[in-house]
Amino acid sequence: MKNSAEPSGSTLIKKSGLSLSQKQGLTGWAFLFLAAGLIVLMNFYPMVRGFMMSLQTGVGANMQFSGFVNYTRLFEDPRFRQTLINTFIYLLVQVPIMLILGLILATMLNSRNLKAKGFFRTAIFLPCAVGLVAYSLVFRQMFAFDGLVNTVLVNIGILETGHNWLGTPWSARLVIILGLLWRWTGFNMIFYLAGIQNVDTSIYEAARIDGANVFHQFWKITIPLLRPIILLTAIMSTNGTLQLFDESFNLTQGGPGVSSMTMSHYIFDTAFAGNPMLGYASAMSFAILLMVALLAFLQLKVGDRR
Amino acid sequence: MKKLLVLILVLALAFVVIACDNDNGNGDGEITGSVEDGGTITVWCWDPAFNIFAMDQAAIIYQAINPNFEIEIIETPWEQVDEQITTFATAGTLDLLPDIMLVQDQAFQLNVMNFPEVFLDLTDSGINFSEFGAAKTSLSTVNGRNYGVPFDNGVTIMGLRTDVIGQAGLTIDDFTSVTWNDFITLGQQVLEATGRPMLATTAGGADYVDFMIKSAGVSMFNADGSPNLDNNPTLREAIAIYVELVQTGVLVEVDGWDAFIGSFVNDVVAGTIAGCWILGSIQQNPDHEGLWAVTNVPRLNVAGGTNFSSWGGSSWAVTTNANAALAIDFLKHTFAGSVELYDILLPEAGALATWIPAAASTVYQEEHTFFGGQRVAADIINFSANIPTFYFGIFHYEGISALEVAITNILNGADIDAELQAAQEFIEFQMRG
Repeated sequence: MKNSAEPSGSTLIKKSGLSLSQKQGLTGWAFLFLAAGLIVLMNFYPMVRGFMMSLQTGVGANMQFSGFVNYTRLFEDPRFRQTLINTFIYLLVQVPIMLILGLILATMLNSRNLKAKGFFRTAIFLPCAVGLVAYSLVFRQMFAFDGLVNTVLVNIGILETGHNWLGTPWSARLVIILGLLWRWTGFNMIFYLAGIQNVDTSIYEAARIDGANVFHQFWKITIPLLRPIILLTAIMSTNGTLQLFDESFNLTQGGPGVSSMTMSHYIFDTAFAGNPMLGYASAMSFAILLMVALLAFLQLKVGDRR
Repeated sequence: MKKLLVLILVLALAFVVIACDNDNGNGDGEITGSVEDGGTITVWCWDPAFNIFAMDQAAIIYQAINPNFEIEIIETPWEQVDEQITTFATAGTLDLLPDIMLVQDQAFQLNVMNFPEVFLDLTDSGINFSEFGAAKTSLSTVNGRNYGVPFDNGVTIMGLRTDVIGQAGLTIDDFTSVTWNDFITLGQQVLEATGRPMLATTAGGADYVDFMIKSAGVSMFNADGSPNLDNNPTLREAIAIYVELVQTGVLVEVDGWDAFIGSFVNDVVAGTIAGCWILGSIQQNPDHEGLWAVTNVPRLNVAGGTNFSSWGGSSWAVTTNANAALAIDFLKHTFAGSVELYDILLPEAGALATWIPAAASTVYQEEHTFFGGQRVAADIINFSANIPTFYFGIFHYEGISALEVAITNILNGADIDAELQAAQEFIEFQMRG
């Protein structure tokens, strides 16, 4: 908290016993209190309750306190391991591709020679304004056995017969990755575009005069200057991917089997399908929280050089 | 100093909130409300062509008895009913429950055991449960107490297009009371002659394996509730048959329920196997009038194998949040007491009564023109009398889920015994709670 210097004439207005800065401070706190109260009520309280629940085992409403059993259970659960692997496949394949694509697109859209910039920007950003469920269902239709993708691939002769995209483990994961790329690349691009536009054009001019080509400019100017924004998008994407739910639930329904199921989808299943095991589901949620925090910490260590 | 103050404030607030939260909302199971005052009964159920249609018809019949009665049916898929029971029960917000909800038989007991505060004990409600088939009633009975009014029994039927199998020189009799091995041979003949697979099912599902083992009276669980997947020859045989069906192309896997319905409505396949409630969907295409016939399902070549199985039906539950007297009176005069209702439901929706007095109705003996004059209802009743008894077990859902994974892996080349071993271990792991 930074204490603002009191105005020199403050001794004159000591009517209510509070200085002007104290009054301002109190007003600020009053505003803060409301927001802070809501955050405590809506976020921290459920988290505390969730943590307490994660220390209980049992089915349905019959739960007993059992310490950290749910957390040790995580290490023995083959299905949790499978969903963890799936989620990290999405993370390691999709996030780098998406961020690099986003950077390239942002650089291209920032080019001075490009006509109809507004159109391209809108077009690339638009997917992330589409509802998650709606786009998942459209992808599902497209990649169905008698869907658009198979029809096109068979007709142009790439495939002999249709491929069962959602019925084969690796292609089901691929479809999820494609869906994620389609939906989120534009979202990250907007951040980069905003960042690039804040870079002084004279830097690029100077570089050009010194003989730097487009690749050099991108590598030596754009990337270093965008470092904080790249860091931000990397953390946001990591966070989002580790909590991925909609695509797994709607697009592939986790299938075939559980071969494309994400951790969040498994948590949902554990909590709500069959015999509801809310304690174990809460424990898994906290495991994800830990992973997100750890990865964000690592990324900050590596990426933040201020 | 200020940071400390903020921390204390936040913690104080958190504890105030926690302290305020003393749970309540525990239904004591007393039947309250009055019939004469009438009122609105809210119902959760799914499938407009079947359950919702049945509820609508029941409401019309009951309104003749009790004009003050109104019904509000909220279309709720089973998965959502299941989730909402969990959510509302654990959050203590039982007042958000409807008066009546439809519950799948395979999940009835587990929901009553997990959330006893949600379900109203109907044992002493005046509904005569002895008038229902005993095997069916047992599925919604927990510790000798009745919690559900049985509805459809979901006997598994095989519907075939007589014109399509006719192109291969076959008749419905060739497919009646056969083994799965015979069926695959016949199916390959049809596939060769017409290019059409016999059947379709949703990809990655375990429905087929589930009804196959039921047809032999075998469960994934032993009578004591322990899982029995790794040392279960019937289950192994069922999975082997399923894999063969897919690999020969006699059965085609499709994406999702709509594609499954579309497969036989839009002439993709030559027939379908499902619960008898599928009759409603079969009749969606008027061009097929007279071209369908219904027969029993193929049997597994194992000890105790029969040509009869159940796809799983559902039962009506009254919640503890209900206007109980009215809800019970409504069910008593309709699903548990109206031949008139079942006379409408059977031909229109294919809802086969498990309420015994309805079976005597003449409607059940009528010939059905859509099925080429076959006495479909009478035949289905005969099927249902022969279904072996089976035991779901509390972990049925987890069992199905483990089977789905195993089947997917086996279809992709994994070893069947290793996969069943893994499935067994998965359920044992789940059952540790």
